[in-house]
Amino acid sequence: MPLAIQLDRVTKRYRAGRSRTVVDLIGSNIDRMRGKAQDVHSVTRGRIDTVIWALRDVNFDVPEAAGVGVIGRNGAGKTTLLKLISRVTWPTSGHVRVAGRVVSLIELGAGFHPELTGRENVYLGGGLFGLTRRDIDRQFDRIVEFADVARLIDTPMKRYSSGLYARLGFSVAIHANPDIVLVDEVLAVGDAAFRRRALEALRQLMTEGKTVLFISHDMWNVRRLCDQVLWMEEGRVRAYGAAAEIAERYMSEVNVQALANQSTALQSHRGGTGEIRYTGVEIVDAAGRASVLFAPGDTLVVRASYQADRPVARPVFQVAVIDVDTGLVITTATSRPGDAPDRVDASGSIECRFPRMPLRPRQYVLRLAITDSHQLASYDLVSAGPRFAVSGRGTGVDGLADEEDGLVSLPFEFAHHTGDVRVFHQA
Amino acid sequence: MNLTKREVKGRYSQSFFGIAWAIAQPLATMAVFTLVFSRLAKMDSNGAPYPLFAFAALVPWFFFMNSVSSGTLSLITYRNIVTKTYFPREIIPLAQVCSRFIDFFAAAGLYVLLMSAYGVGVGVWSLMAPVFFLLLILFTVGLTFATSAMNVFYRDVNPVVQIALQLWLYLTPVAYPLAVVPPRFRLFFVMNPLSAIVEGFRSAVVFNRAPDWTLTVISASIIAAVFVSASVMFKRMDKYFADVI
Repeated sequence: MPLAIQLDRVTKRYRAGRSRTVVDLIGSNIDRMRGKAQDVHSVTRGRIDTVIWALRDVNFDVPEAAGVGVIGRNGAGKTTLLKLISRVTWPTSGHVRVAGRVVSLIELGAGFHPELTGRENVYLGGGLFGLTRRDIDRQFDRIVEFADVARLIDTPMKRYSSGLYARLGFSVAIHANPDIVLVDEVLAVGDAAFRRRALEALRQLMTEGKTVLFISHDMWNVRRLCDQVLWMEEGRVRAYGAAAEIAERYMSEVNVQALANQSTALQSHRGGTGEIRYTGVEIVDAAGRASVLFAPGDTLVVRASYQADRPVARPVFQVAVIDVDTGLVITTATSRPGDAPDRVDASGSIECRFPRMPLRPRQYVLRLAITDSHQLASYDLVSAGPRFAVSGRGTGVDGLADEEDGLVSLPFEFAHHTGDVRVFHQA
Repeated sequence: MNLTKREVKGRYSQSFFGIAWAIAQPLATMAVFTLVFSRLAKMDSNGAPYPLFAFAALVPWFFFMNSVSSGTLSLITYRNIVTKTYFPREIIPLAQVCSRFIDFFAAAGLYVLLMSAYGVGVGVWSLMAPVFFLLLILFTVGLTFATSAMNVFYRDVNPVVQIALQLWLYLTPVAYPLAVVPPRFRLFFVMNPLSAIVEGFRSAVVFNRAPDWTLTVISASIIAAVFVSASVMFKRMDKYFADVI
């Protein structure tokens, strides 16, 4: 299979810090006359000669018509990689070979002029992508239709919202007849409908044999759009391979790192009247080991110890699971008789088990409370307790496939019937 | 070119008189020069009406000055397209120069009106004007390549250029004819290609006579050297623009 992009031992070094000024030059000459070591002083004077290795010895190939997701933390070298491929900048050493016309979406609408109308900017932007006036004439209606800006096309772009601006920028770029499209996390702007259409457009380009390199922090989109994933870490290639596998490994590691650093202390500013308080909360797995990372279908146990300062009758202990992005998943409480003692006056602990947890791969946070028997007034409220993440395929829940999107894994079955079927709820 | 259009539109949009500002600059300067040099200093204009004499030189001068002035900053101004997209970067300073064509031709149109007002006819030597215009463009583009590229690395270049442009006007025979320059300074003026250009424009459209061929050939060689070396330099520095800008 012919290669679209080939990077051969590519290294990119940037000089950090400010540029040298005449004061530095005089300063270093004075130092030299005094016979002082120069390097010590140039460091104290603002680190002029610091270098940053944005990329180190990167090798990788992208075959034609492939979709490659580029993932990694901020500063891992993802954008530098795209800039090298798009020839915005040049490698310090090594070779970058690119077959075909590259269109880079490092910033949408970068060449647009706010004083010009949308129509004029389509011609301006298209020209920067190497299109001739006639090319643009031919594509104009499609560009405008895709961006959905027909109403404002003769309005100066300074009156556009940032989402509209980006939409027109994206539309011009993908209609510029590229062989290789580089996308740098630019779909974060624009509404959900446009994001979906943009992803569809990128997928369409791939089916037409174009190569797409796609930087994103959204693993869901990366996995849906790309067959391969390149994982960058500190300027090096950490892993390059099948999208699902690499994205999964990346997410597990990010979750573990983020969760391992969380504070074990319960937040100091808490709600509630304080007659009885939680003193510690711990998340453990089925075997009782402390854990922050679970697979769908695993058993998760929350253990919380408490201390009552005075006797409290029929307290209710609440444990809520909150999806960090979308909100409450469930609130559980010791509301059934026998869940908790009728009266507490000292220290103790409760344990809440979630067997075969049907949560999807996401991040979660616990909210804990102790309330009166009516669950109206709270003695204690920990609104941001410990966090945990669900990641990977795990054992699955009742054999559910891993591919469905959503918040929880519900058991489901489909049935199929041929012929006329009575429809109960007419749409 | 689209970038040129962007530049021109950007410059004159939201302005009531729009393109009229393009001719205001040489016209106002001509008026002041006429007052100071012709009326007060009694400068010799070789028998031509002084306003016409000055204007014929001021139009190419302002084309040069404005192009170099904004061209020097152009790569910095268009930083976001330099760092975000790839295309031949020469286009950016080139678009600055091209965007001054419209000013040049607007002022040239006014010059034709002035000629008829002063009763000066158009002669056969005016066919030389396009030749000098070509030399003017080459010199302006070459210099703009050099200053814009250097300014990416050291922003000191811009203030130096701005000051140099101020002084350059007086060291070029714009307000006065080259003929009044004493022989011991003459070499200095000959090395300045703008001398040949403004004198060339004058001989073509004011006096209707042949240009000073020696002067013209010397200047054309200097211009060619400047243009070629500046283009080569620009191409070499191009690789590092996105990193240091």
